[in-house]
Amino acid sequence: MKRTVLTAVVIVLSCASCNRAAPVSGAGGKPTVALVLKTLNHPFFVDMRRGAQEAADRLGVTLQVQAAEREIDVEKQMQIVENMIQTGIQALAITPSGSREIVSALVKARDAKVPIVVVDTRLDPKAAADAGVHGETFVGSDNYEGGKLAGEYLVKATGGKARVGILEGIPGHETGDSRLRGFRDAVKGAAGVAIVASQPANWERDQGFNVFQNMLQAHPEIDSVFACSDLMALGAIEAIRAAGKTGAIKVVGFDALDDAKKAIAAGSMEASVAQFPAEMGRAAIESAVKVIHGEKLPDEIKVKLELVTRDNVK
Amino acid sequence: MNRARRFGTVIGLVVLCAILWILTPYFLTVSNLLNIAEQTSINAIVAVGMTFVILSGGIDLSVGSIVALAGVVLGLALRDGQPLALALALTLAAGLVCGLVNGLLVSLGGLPPFIVTLGTMSIARGAALLVTEGRPISGFAASFRVLATGRVGFVPAPVIATAVVYLAAHVALAGTTFGRYVYAIGGNEEATRLSGVAVRFHKTMIYGVSGLMSAIAAVILTARLNSAQPIAGMMYELDAIAATVIGGTSLMGGDGTLAGTLVGALIMGVLRNGLNLLGVSSFLQQIVIGGVIVVAVLLDTVLKRNRM
Repeated sequence: MKRTVLTAVVIVLSCASCNRAAPVSGAGGKPTVALVLKTLNHPFFVDMRRGAQEAADRLGVTLQVQAAEREIDVEKQMQIVENMIQTGIQALAITPSGSREIVSALVKARDAKVPIVVVDTRLDPKAAADAGVHGETFVGSDNYEGGKLAGEYLVKATGGKARVGILEGIPGHETGDSRLRGFRDAVKGAAGVAIVASQPANWERDQGFNVFQNMLQAHPEIDSVFACSDLMALGAIEAIRAAGKTGAIKVVGFDALDDAKKAIAAGSMEASVAQFPAEMGRAAIESAVKVIHGEKLPDEIKVKLELVTRDNVK
Repeated sequence: MNRARRFGTVIGLVVLCAILWILTPYFLTVSNLLNIAEQTSINAIVAVGMTFVILSGGIDLSVGSIVALAGVVLGLALRDGQPLALALALTLAAGLVCGLVNGLLVSLGGLPPFIVTLGTMSIARGAALLVTEGRPISGFAASFRVLATGRVGFVPAPVIATAVVYLAAHVALAGTTFGRYVYAIGGNEEATRLSGVAVRFHKTMIYGVSGLMSAIAAVILTARLNSAQPIAGMMYELDAIAATVIGGTSLMGGDGTLAGTLVGALIMGVLRNGLNLLGVSSFLQQIVIGGVIVVAVLLDTVLKRNRM
């Protein structure tokens, strides 16, 4: 019995403290849009949420933001989508944790006639086509273009002569794979640039450190790094510092996180490809609202990319 | 006493549901309840194995990794065009073998279960990543996916699977000598051994059951996601332990029921679903779920102390 009471207390407290934004779409007749993110423990998605909230407030819609505890937990993300559908949301904006896996959840959204806006990470075209799922639009930066931007910059910065080590994201994830393809295509043309090692560090800072430290042991000739995300790049920078090679190895990252910008200003990092997640969040909610109002959307809404270097870092 | 505590867990679930029913109109609908049952099925099945292991006084940290490895075996077999029955048999065999290896290391090797399964957690995960090169295997035939997407009447297939698993496991635990030995080993292993029970054999089997349950969960997960991910199932061990403990099974072994575990898994599923429906912040959800686990164990301990 005591357990009962305590459980009740926990629930009531949790709801009392945070239930201002109950997803009841009837509240004032405001439509509800759900934004399901990969995670909320990464600055990228926190910024995206901020942009989305601003747009929602401006356009007068109720925004429900939910995310799995862990970025790669696509089953949990699927559960969130299923649960949000139960609340009668009018539109779903989602950054898929798995380009193929999430399609199973989106089938349920489609069956419930909830329009889908895909953000940041594309759906696997084949999986989506097989399941008959289609997003109203895709809002995001072109990761392939971003990788290419990084590659072209590195070729220029090294005068076309480089021994490159690459830190990859989690294998099989569309975002990292596209960045990698873009980078490889950009350096392919430069005869003096060779990729001597390419290993996954799973998007994480500590793994970036360890993997790059090992890479440097095996390939001491490495003079340039491309990391598919800044967290991994920042890990590599620490490994470079530990090896006493700061300044001798050029590091190019992706995301332009605050820490990376500081490293660029301090000279321990060369460049980073900036995305604009707040812009993505804003465009995602604007698109969702347009869909609710029956407007047609373009297949893709591209959000700009920008290379941050010492010359333009703020 | 035991019955009273189990009853308490059920009351906890009912009160939780009643509160959610009051707070949100979306909770008590047929479609949402089926939704919860479907979402709970994977954790509930893994928790069956965990309950056997914890009842015997052990712990199994490798279940999540075995889910991933068994899922990968299934994905590879299906991709290679093996018939469904063979692919399923291979999957269950993979899970069973992993579990038996755990069991042998614990019983014959005499190693602490925590250490053994910590090791196999890493080994199974690594093996799953190795054979797939880290990439998910996806895109299966509808004849396989029906295991997760199909419905019998209006009941989702994973819910049926869960019911069958619980019935079979309940019979094994409550109606066979094997089941009695699970409790006996957890209650007093030395006394059980001295009374002539083949403790090593039964302990090995207990971990085998856990591996098998992980493999069954892997089948549902793979069909549900239409993808076998080598990174699937992370932290499932903690969810399964939580369901078992909330359900009133003692971590000291020898005391607990499968019905309690099922209720424990449902409490977690209802809680997650309800917090989603209410639009509670993801961060706060973790605090609430953690709080419920701690409160459940606290009550369990207090009730035990009073009994003594």
